[in-house]
Amino acid sequence: MELNANAFGRNARKALLDKTLQEALGRTTGRFQAHRDAAVAALPEFEATRERASRIKGDVLDHLDTYLARFIEEAEKRGTIVHVARDAAQAREIAARIAWEEGITLAVKSKSMASEEVSFNEALQGAGVTVVESDLGEFIIQLAGEAPSHIIAPAVHKTREEISLLFERHLGEPRTDSIPELVGMARKHLRAKFLSAGMGVSGGNFLVADTGSVVLVTNEGNGRMGTVLPRVHLAVVGIEKVIPRMADLPTFLRLLPRSASGQVISSYVSIVTGTRRAGDPEGPERMHLLLLDCGRSAILEGKYREILKCIRCAACLNSCPVYQSVGGHAYGWVYSGPIGAVLTPLLVGLPEAAALPDASTLCGACADVCPVKIPLPDFLLELRSDAREQGLKTPGEIAAMKGYAGVMKRAGLLEAIERIAGVLGQFFTKGKGISGLPYPFSGWTERRDFPAPAAEPFRKQWKIKRGVTR
Amino acid sequence: MPYTTGMDPKGPIPVSLFFTCLADAFSPGVCTATVEVLERFGATVRVPLSQTCCGQPAFNSGNRKEARAMARKFLLSFPDDGFIVTPSGSCAAMVKHGYPVLFRDEPRMLARARAIGERIFELSQFLVDVLGVTDPKSDFSGKVTYHDSCHLRRGLGVIEAPRKLLRAVPGIEFVEMEESDRCCGFGGVFSLKYPQISCKMTERKVERILATGASYVTSGDLGCLLNIGGLISRIGYPVKTIHLAEILAGKTAGKEDAG
Ligand code: SF4
Repeated sequence: MELNANAFGRNARKALLDKTLQEALGRTTGRFQAHRDAAVAALPEFEATRERASRIKGDVLDHLDTYLARFIEEAEKRGTIVHVARDAAQAREIAARIAWEEGITLAVKSKSMASEEVSFNEALQGAGVTVVESDLGEFIIQLAGEAPSHIIAPAVHKTREEISLLFERHLGEPRTDSIPELVGMARKHLRAKFLSAGMGVSGGNFLVADTGSVVLVTNEGNGRMGTVLPRVHLAVVGIEKVIPRMADLPTFLRLLPRSASGQVISSYVSIVTGTRRAGDPEGPERMHLLLLDCGRSAILEGKYREILKCIRCAACLNSCPVYQSVGGHAYGWVYSGPIGAVLTPLLVGLPEAAALPDASTLCGACADVCPVKIPLPDFLLELRSDAREQGLKTPGEIAAMKGYAGVMKRAGLLEAIERIAGVLGQFFTKGKGISGLPYPFSGWTERRDFPAPAAEPFRKQWKIKRGVTR
Repeated sequence: MPYTTGMDPKGPIPVSLFFTCLADAFSPGVCTATVEVLERFGATVRVPLSQTCCGQPAFNSGNRKEARAMARKFLLSFPDDGFIVTPSGSCAAMVKHGYPVLFRDEPRMLARARAIGERIFELSQFLVDVLGVTDPKSDFSGKVTYHDSCHLRRGLGVIEAPRKLLRAVPGIEFVEMEESDRCCGFGGVFSLKYPQISCKMTERKVERILATGASYVTSGDLGCLLNIGGLISRIGYPVKTIHLAEILAGKTAGKEDAG
């Protein structure tokens, strides 16, 4: 997917003016959040489960190579052909080669955020393969030629009117505003694709090391169909998705749907363990697994390793007032919201995405809901500090901070400035807030007043009143 | 949960006031009110005048070198014993949680930061959890709603203390607003870097405040109040911002300088 993260400010302003987007955002994030809160409240052991999940993931990260080796061994035993891609270019190359060797011309794909990281669809299309997104949301945005704007609800920014228009234009369907009818149209169109596709492509929510299984958590039947109907199944999954044992899966299944949409369990949980065996009624003849490193090993080595605990539930997006205000596209890459603000700079390099860690008030709502307890605000702060150290801050900001620190290091100097400001403040505002300030405060005063400084700062009042000097 | 200090509960309660640079410059009334309330409950208040700013704006924007310089000054401005009380959840959280990050590679400063962090309290937290105050003895009257500052609520975990105090004031009709724990959009430098998003969040906060029909919105952080108040004063909405300390001190009129 094309990277445009540093345009966050501009994209956000555009999003704020987009009425339909604003309505859609308000509706969806609010609903997800309310359902999540209710589901969590109804599970007394939520906190303990969260604790356990975070611990399991921590253990995985401490021994990722061991667990991955075990997973690959078990998966290969069951007929899965495992590939590992170091970076996006290699991932594209491997995907194209698999398609070519398997003689694929049509592939149906269920939702995979990781595949977006490497521009997977473009790679297959370059190899002459038609890729059809089969998740309803992904299907819609594929027709629109857009990118997902939410991890679990990729088309949240689209209204039903817009969707009907797309279906009319691309599928020749009549206009309707009935959601069941729209779903029916997509289903009819996709059913034909499922039956003729040579390959099903999926993501993967978990890789189970002791059984070599790929676990898919979905709400639509497309994931199930895409992994059993076509002759070949290709799963594209990040290396950090491994969990040690099948016995650990329930812990995560308890957290993921609840945190994502407030469901106790998703409509489908598919555990795909290798190819079809003798006597199996269904399943692919060939199974490929494309494991993506794509920057993950490097993250593992550094101070942000815990970000690899993420199970992509999107709870942090739904809880984030900044995400709620601007939606996912403003973040300019695959991942949005707090997880995107941290993960994008780590995966693509901070210089390419330095605008994102600033896109937060550090309110902490994300850390409150994260089911694997990732300290997202701490990471945002750390990234901002990295930006300074890597020379990514504007000279203006640095000069302002140096000036500020210079004043604050000397109480006497501060007092002198306060005295002047007090006089000026009173003079200009006649006891009211200030309504027009120059840059960088101009943004503030566009729609809000700035407080006028007090004529007599507290420090001075105290000295006079109590006659003390220290 | 009461805080155990090992100090004689009937003896003097030594408190150093951390007045915050923001209140010092923009709302000195908040500092005065804090002193009044503390003294009302028996504290001996001292104001170290060499204090300036805890360094939060620099720390939050990633400028740690400057933040460290300010933090160093802060740590040296306060005495080695007694409580440190501040009318700001955000500034207390900075000292408690930010300083250990700033000094993670300096063991001596880290130890000092931790020790000071142990003794620092936000005003309502100090009154309720340390002094066990149940009746703030305030003559404030009016319909009041409360905004949870992010750093007081999620940073320090202080949720009930301010509510308990507000509810205990006989003249106050306390109303909860919807989404009281949702960020008001201030976020320090965030409000300068992304003012439009910030404003959008503030507008939603003000809508919720207005929906309560309260005459006052209060909070434990002046930053939030200046932000919210800035929008209220621009539009001219019929509600006033007032700091929790001023309510507890009992200034019904609502001070000019509270925004
Ligand atoms: S960071 Fe946490 S809350 Fe956000 S998507 Fe990942 S697991 Fe979910």
